[in-house]
Amino acid sequence: MSPSLTLPAPAPAAARKRRLLEILGAAAIAATYVYLVLNQPADITGGPGSASALIALSGFLVGAILLIVAVLPTLPASTVVLIPVALVLNIVLGQFVGSTLVPFYLDAIGTVLIAVLAGPAAGAATGALSSIVWSFFNPTVLPFAAGAALIGCLAGLAARHGMFRRLYLAPVAGFVTGIIGGVVSAPVAAFVFGGTSGVATGAIVSAFRSMGDTLLAAITKQALISDPMDKAIVFTVVAVLAYALPRRTRLQFPFVRRHRVLAGTSPEQGS
Amino acid sequence: MRLHPLTSLAAACSTAVITTAAASLPLSLAVMGAAVVLSARGGTARRLLPAAAAVLLPLGLSLLVMHGLFFPEGRTVLAQWGVARVTAEGLAFALERAAQLGAVVLALLVFSFSVSVPDLVAVLPSRGVHGRFAFVLASTLTLLPAITSRVERIRQAQESRGLVVRRGVLHRAAAFRLQAVPLVLSLIEDAGTRTAALEARGFSNPGPRTSYRDVPDPRGQRVLRAALLAAAAAAVAARLLLTQAGS
Repeated sequence: MSPSLTLPAPAPAAARKRRLLEILGAAAIAATYVYLVLNQPADITGGPGSASALIALSGFLVGAILLIVAVLPTLPASTVVLIPVALVLNIVLGQFVGSTLVPFYLDAIGTVLIAVLAGPAAGAATGALSSIVWSFFNPTVLPFAAGAALIGCLAGLAARHGMFRRLYLAPVAGFVTGIIGGVVSAPVAAFVFGGTSGVATGAIVSAFRSMGDTLLAAITKQALISDPMDKAIVFTVVAVLAYALPRRTRLQFPFVRRHRVLAGTSPEQGS
Repeated sequence: MRLHPLTSLAAACSTAVITTAAASLPLSLAVMGAAVVLSARGGTARRLLPAAAAVLLPLGLSLLVMHGLFFPEGRTVLAQWGVARVTAEGLAFALERAAQLGAVVLALLVFSFSVSVPDLVAVLPSRGVHGRFAFVLASTLTLLPAITSRVERIRQAQESRGLVVRRGVLHRAAAFRLQAVPLVLSLIEDAGTRTAALEARGFSNPGPRTSYRDVPDPRGQRVLRAALLAAAAAAVAARLLLTQAGS
């Protein structure tokens, strides 16, 4: 969408306020993570509902909401209209896989697709919104809002730096994203749920627990097994989908044009 | 009396927060029972219970296997097979966690199954962040059933062209691609059309909006909302103070 010709442009003060909110949101997520990892041995199995669960919930949620407040008003209408589509894709595919006996989630296809087409900020907002709206049907995904936002942001950054120009680079980017996302989401699973929400992932955690690991260590290791594979699959699926889109649809997105996200969509050729 | 959507949202959220903060098994079970009774009286139990079961059964099973069989911190061993040890502490931990999560899930589901989405969207201010969030929420909730039926139509169309899902990962992946590509394509095309329509109606313009839907918000409910949020904040503060004092 081109900037409006008849309406005043947003003031720079508003842009500065949004930047501040973005930084605050990221800081809230990072501070919560550091706090949880440093304090973990004290009370993880000392009783549920301990302070850590509340801190994990509130810190990650506040961070995710700040990111949404900062990013959502800046997105062009064409991206905002795509967000519900991404959420539906996440929910339809994630609901199906989550209930089967596969230790994957595949609940981020829509988020990563938006990140590839519209950039890291849109990806982060979509990830966080996805968790919040999905919690209408499944409240257990709500605490993972920050992790989902991180996945969307990292996917957008990978797309911006050309990881989707070659099909074989997409799973590599997904693998790395999965490692980071898994490590960040593990404390949520450990402190809020005291485990994982799926049967197959639970079995992997049990295996590590039987070797005497603490709960957080076992869940982090499980996340390091499941998440990189999961995100590698998701990134590959998204790359296949993005290349299946007609050229006209792909070039509709300014982010794809400007950063030459997909091979064969250079700005010189596009018109 | 009909509850304002924000009042029921505040009630559900503060119930969830207080149950998490209190972390007591009897309270969690009481909240679960109250949620089921409320949804039965509201006539949503038939839709709510399967949804809650789909979430809670795998979660509960996973917790039971994880902590029931392997709980290295447990002392009271009830049974042992090889590396697996059933400990009383592990079972208690799994039960408490499952009850607490069950209470939170049921409280939030009672809200989301009983709230009228048009009312909820109408009470959110219609521009800025709130307006966009309301659009995303309402649009997702209305798209979901439409897309489920579109997936079905695409599957039928591909089957009439000779798609047979055979066993094996590669066959399944190919079948997935044949159905996902048309779905995503049509969704993105639709979104483009919708963008033009929304822009023509001033979706991203600043300025006041008029809503045709008026949701009454009596004074009593506003006070109740404030009280519920204060109670949730107090519960969190009490839990944090107790933990500080305990350690």
